Amino acid sequence: MPDAITIALGQISCRPGDKKHNIETMKKRIAESKRIKADIIAFPELSLTGYVVRDRAYELAETVPNGSSVHEIEKIAKKENIHIIFGMIERNARANAILHNTAVLISPKGYVGKYQKMHLPTHSVFEEKRYFRPGYKTPVFETEVGKIGMMICYDVYFPEIARLLSLRGAKLIVGISASPSVRRGFFETLTAARAMENTVFFAFVNLAGVEDGLQFWGGSRIIAPSGSVISQAKYDIDDFISATISYSDINRVQAWVPILRDLRPEIYTSLREETENL
Amino acid sequence: MLLTREALKLDLPLITSRLKRFIEDYVKKTKADGAVLNLSGGIDSATATALATLALGKNRVVALSLPERETYSPIDIKHTKMLAKKFGFSLVTIDITKVLQAYYKAIPAFDPKERLCKGNIKARARMICLYYYANRQNRIVVGSSDKSETMMGYFTKWGDVAADISPLMDLYKTQVRQLATHIGIPAEIIAKPSTPQLWPKQLAEDELGIKYEVLDLVLLGLENFVATKEIARQLKLPLKLVEGIKTRWLSSEHKRRTPLTMKMEYRTIGADFRLPYMPP
Repeated sequence: MPDAITIALGQISCRPGDKKHNIETMKKRIAESKRIKADIIAFPELSLTGYVVRDRAYELAETVPNGSSVHEIEKIAKKENIHIIFGMIERNARANAILHNTAVLISPKGYVGKYQKMHLPTHSVFEEKRYFRPGYKTPVFETEVGKIGMMICYDVYFPEIARLLSLRGAKLIVGISASPSVRRGFFETLTAARAMENTVFFAFVNLAGVEDGLQFWGGSRIIAPSGSVISQAKYDIDDFISATISYSDINRVQAWVPILRDLRPEIYTSLREETENL
Repeated sequence: MLLTREALKLDLPLITSRLKRFIEDYVKKTKADGAVLNLSGGIDSATATALATLALGKNRVVALSLPERETYSPIDIKHTKMLAKKFGFSLVTIDITKVLQAYYKAIPAFDPKERLCKGNIKARARMICLYYYANRQNRIVVGSSDKSETMMGYFTKWGDVAADISPLMDLYKTQVRQLATHIGIPAEIIAKPSTPQLWPKQLAEDELGIKYEVLDLVLLGLENFVATKEIARQLKLPLKLVEGIKTRWLSSEHKRRTPLTMKMEYRTIGADFRLPYMPP
């Protein structure tokens, strides 16, 4: 695993329901990321389909990794020799009407793995539980560009996900998101908190543009384990950012603020019990 | 929650850029050639027309001034011209008096004493003109309803509220005033009392029985699940008044939704067909 890698974030706006168009948009950003010699590029939550697709989710869903869109992204990753993370509606391979809100990681060698969103917002303008089954796993993938964990949007409100990923060895957490404008303040705080409290790099890539009256606020960012924002994209509109990170910085920060060393597992049983009793 | 003016304060540059993008994005996605609006000369339509012009450019916005004899206001007409000059959009004035008279004459049940029923014909006649221009010139209709009037049901069903998009509908009246000042609507238009122009000397605040500065805070409380008792306590208002506003809000829901139907089949319009608008 190299110590230094270059991460690119493709903050795009999507055309809801038009996968072909959205893949073309991704391709342009991938070409841009190759020009700056990026090792990995991430795109927002449901970047394959757009976020506000509602009932059309059923017809837009594909299986992972055997769906045609994953194959298409695999070909691009191979051709451009880059790792790609993107979001899509996954059709459950065993039960066709069950869908997941999924982040997919692809390397130049092909499909690596996926993360199914665990916390599905169903309040305010969000209706994800109507469509998706939550995930139950927080996998960490050992890749040629580092140990990577993924999460999706509202998961960032729940520190347990980032904690599990960091305990499983993730050095880079990629949070893909489709966060509308009124939530900006929460995310700007929480993304930095997840990086700091786990002493990991956190790459947050958010959707931009307007879908059915929702303005997605963009503001994608790459955050250091110390919480400092290394690179930040523009608010609201399409943008592209990148940063070169050095994993060895984690050691320095962990020695300075040894959070993982100071964890107290004996209180976690109570945490579970109290949550169940809520 | 503290119901203070501070709670209604907007980040005006941010809101302006988002609303402009919202209008521009919708026109682009629908492949329309521009927008058409009803410009009465009041603050809401002035703000919506100015925003549409800032978003689309002056050549893609047509404002219809639709006066009629009974509610004719030279000041409003002056204001529409002032706005057209300042922002540069096209202004078309159509006197709808004869159209209205034809309706009055043609409807057997028409009763001139029923001024609300009569006034609603005016609002709907204006809507017909707007949609004619929209159809004929491939434009979208941009509405100018604000959140205060929409929550109160203070509009004509299928009339002044009819539009393809309503950029101001999530802003209370006092917030529209902030926005209007920010984008350069002349102060005399902002200061003018609101009227739906359904009959002579009709004023919104008189009919609603409360000033917008107070109404907006009551509505903000209701929006945020604050109990009526608490709203009345904080704003030093009679509980009956606050409860009356709540009742008016809830009882006008029929004006804000698609027509109710009886669920009989697998997926039902307005109930469990949940579809985004995705123009091809």
